[in-house]
Amino acid sequence: MTGGARRRRRLAERLFRAALRVLPADMRERDGAEIEALFAHESEDARASGVPRHLAFVIGAVWDILRRAPYEHWRRRGRRRNEDSTMRSFIADLRFAFRSFGRQPGATALIVLTLTLGVAANTAVFAIVDGLFLRPFPFPEPGRLVYLNERAPTWNLEFTGINYPDFHTWRERASTFESMALWAETSVNLADASGAERVQGLAVTYDFPKTLGIRPVLGRSFTKEEDGPTPSRVVVLGYGLWQTRFAGSRDVVGQPLRINSRPYTIIGVLPREADFPGRAQFWVPLNGDPNQRGESYGYDGIGRLKPGVTVEQARSDLLRAHAPIWTARDSARVVSPRLDGLREQFGSNFRAMGKALGAGALLVLLIACANVAGAMLARSIFRRREIAIRLALGASAKRVGRQLITESLALAIVAGLAGTLIGRWLVRLLVTFGSDQLPPWVQLQFGVRTIVFAVLVIVATALVFGLAPALQARRADVTGSLVGGAGTRASVGIPQRRMLDALVVIEIALALVLLAGSGLLVRAYGTLRNMDPGFRPDGVMTFQLALPQAKYPSAVAQRRFYATLTDRLTATPGVQSAGVVTCLPFGCHWGMFLRAEGAAPPARNSSNPVVLARYASAHYFEAMGIRLVHGRFFTDAEGGPTGPHPVVINEQLAKQLWPNVADPVGKRMIWNGDTVSTDWMTVVGVVRDVRHYGLVKPMIGGLYKSAFEADTSQSLESLGIAVRSATGEAAVLAAARAIVRELDPELPLIDVRSAQAAVNRSFADRRTIAFVFAAFGGIALALALGGIYAVLSYVVGRRRQEIGIRMALGAQRSQVIGLVVRQGLRLVAIGVVLGLPVSLLALREISSLLVGVSARDPLTYAAAIALLAATAALSALVPARRAAGVDPKTALVEG
Amino acid sequence: MPSDMRRHWFYILLSLAERDRHGSGIVRDVLELTSGELRLWPVTLYGSLDELREHGWIRELGAAPEPDEDRGHRRWFRITPQGRRALVAEMERMRSLVAVAQRRVAGIGDPS
Repeated sequence: MTGGARRRRRLAERLFRAALRVLPADMRERDGAEIEALFAHESEDARASGVPRHLAFVIGAVWDILRRAPYEHWRRRGRRRNEDSTMRSFIADLRFAFRSFGRQPGATALIVLTLTLGVAANTAVFAIVDGLFLRPFPFPEPGRLVYLNERAPTWNLEFTGINYPDFHTWRERASTFESMALWAETSVNLADASGAERVQGLAVTYDFPKTLGIRPVLGRSFTKEEDGPTPSRVVVLGYGLWQTRFAGSRDVVGQPLRINSRPYTIIGVLPREADFPGRAQFWVPLNGDPNQRGESYGYDGIGRLKPGVTVEQARSDLLRAHAPIWTARDSARVVSPRLDGLREQFGSNFRAMGKALGAGALLVLLIACANVAGAMLARSIFRRREIAIRLALGASAKRVGRQLITESLALAIVAGLAGTLIGRWLVRLLVTFGSDQLPPWVQLQFGVRTIVFAVLVIVATALVFGLAPALQARRADVTGSLVGGAGTRASVGIPQRRMLDALVVIEIALALVLLAGSGLLVRAYGTLRNMDPGFRPDGVMTFQLALPQAKYPSAVAQRRFYATLTDRLTATPGVQSAGVVTCLPFGCHWGMFLRAEGAAPPARNSSNPVVLARYASAHYFEAMGIRLVHGRFFTDAEGGPTGPHPVVINEQLAKQLWPNVADPVGKRMIWNGDTVSTDWMTVVGVVRDVRHYGLVKPMIGGLYKSAFEADTSQSLESLGIAVRSATGEAAVLAAARAIVRELDPELPLIDVRSAQAAVNRSFADRRTIAFVFAAFGGIALALALGGIYAVLSYVVGRRRQEIGIRMALGAQRSQVIGLVVRQGLRLVAIGVVLGLPVSLLALREISSLLVGVSARDPLTYAAAIALLAATAALSALVPARRAAGVDPKTALVEG
Repeated sequence: MPSDMRRHWFYILLSLAERDRHGSGIVRDVLELTSGELRLWPVTLYGSLDELREHGWIRELGAAPEPDEDRGHRRWFRITPQGRRALVAEMERMRSLVAVAQRRVAGIGDPS
């Protein structure tokens, strides 16, 4: 025997022995040795006739084991228990279920469709909730990551941003952190031969990658020295930028890249998952100065805790580390550090919305379940005779109940598959069309987690809607159903009717919650749509420009550029006015402190709310359509080194600084930051509050200073431009692009959008949730009505005889119709009575999403109830008319 | 068991009807009987033997009936009287099946 043949034989025997393990244990014990011996013996013969034969023999023998094993197992189970095996009866039940569904394709399709909607809504919503709250960030041990910031209650700020020297102190003194880092979002102009492009990126401290727990895929990240106080021109590319701009070339490290017209050196490339907190295409060093003069808050922080450290422990450690800052320069303890779990912090803005969506989807599913349970129950009542026969023939009630559960499971599986597919499609749709409404760090994925969730939903669904008919079957009255025969038509069993009614009542009650909820959200959205943003957005086009320091080094040069630009824009035919501002509405924030003339410096711990400071050109107000309340706007020529500085303030600031003065024009104030300036500013006008932070957020005090005032050393690198025109946005945009290109071909237009789009964008999330809830409400209404229709049809069918007798005795058509419709309305009434308190209680939870409408708004509730009642009456009319069409003679004869 | 005996049961009984055999002997005999058409794979063989024993149609012998030429085979099987009856019944069933079929085919008419 050759070595190869021996090896082959050993391999074959091992394979065969391994396969034998699938046989029942007792068979292996008794026959195992014999079977192996027989195999070895026959295998020897087969081997003699060549390799192919031998191979065929081994495969045949193994196949024989696999084919025979299930039968051997089943045979033993039958031996052990006289009853049929669970598995076999399950399969038989399943077959039976599909056969009986096949006989009623319409009803089955309806049931499946109902459940599909419920499952689709739930899986899609789960994918969103998972992306927002549950999925950990794609970094090692994400549970140890925390978000760092600072708070200053007396400034009216929950998040001030981090001051670099504060961070420096924390980093030196805190002991519960493995590392901590800062980041700041930044955007730069990338220019090369192919043109100018505006790119988002991050300025980060050198320990940022270590904190996240990632390494560059190419090259390296910054060194501590490169992140020192003196700027160094090195850049790490994001994966996306590397792919799009450098086609993933591996020799990109060491190459130059022009950022803001300055040469930088590429030192590394980030992995794909490093896109944190989203849409960052590159990293540059933050270059913070621990000895910086004056306080400037604005960075975001992230920390990685040492293993085993809790958020609480880290919080008190951070406070301890912060203490020297209070001693040294903040004795009033105005600013203190804050620390939250990274995921909690990032999801917090969406918590109310996520909860509402989840609850809404769950309600839809529950209604779908109630609906299908009703349909199944009606089916089981029609099948009473079949079930009674099976019980009479000796099937246990348990066994019959299991059959019914299996039917439910079969329906749920089909609907679950379809619903999951549709849910996946919905998520794709959302990713394609709604991605800018979601925060950039959210990754919507329809992954394993969602599928596991879908499976759970499906099983739970099957149990919920399969339970009612199964319980019914247990109580089935064998003799009654058999003896009664066709005569059972005369009346409907009381318990069955009650359960059907109960299901419809539940549906109505739940539908009321959804209808009222969607009514409230839609009304809130309507309020937002009509809300005055504080300016007239129609006909206004806005965009941003960022002048590179290298080309426009001085404030004078920057000012000259913007003055020329606005002049040329204003001269364009159709343009009514054009102006510039440092922060457009819904845009950036620059907070300052002010003190009114004559007012005492703010006392320790007293409130000193931060004020939104903006530089604007004189025509900005006109271009944006900001209304003047008192006084006048400043002009571009006013002010200067000697003259008083004219400012325009908003109503909120007027109230804040001079609460008892009706018209503050002529009043004076000064900056009141780290250093109190002596440059007085004079109020020349008061304007309406522009809702800078979004329509639903309260506006803080705000002031506009003249951007073109000759003396200020204030840098105007990046400004927003607003153009009001009568010619339409496209024409204005084309003109603006042409003018900018003429002035500087390297300058890209950033964030180009109409002011109306900016307004809409600011509440896009509210629109989404209103639409989703309206859809949920619509589905709920349709399902509830379907439920009413089904029950009444069923009742009418069962009561044909009785109705026939009534009509024979002289009842009018209208009386019969009234009888049936009243039955429907009675269910609605009970449902409303039960659903109303539930709605009032449940919808309190969405009050944070409501604007201009109370969560207990009577009008909305009344409308929801009226809608339910009216459509319920309509859906009752069909079976009612059918009842009225009953011919007394045939009905009586049939009976 | 009047109808439809499984094919390999039939052949196992047929094989044992001639004389007592061990597992390997049955496999070879059935291969011969069917001109190589039916191979009783090991697990099917022992599973079926177990079932036939449950039916009471065969029994296992305590000791080898003849001086064994093949030391590996400890277990020998013998057909029982019930087994013989079942085999005969199956043969009868097949015979009548064939008879019915022949009559019908003949009735339809052979062209010759």
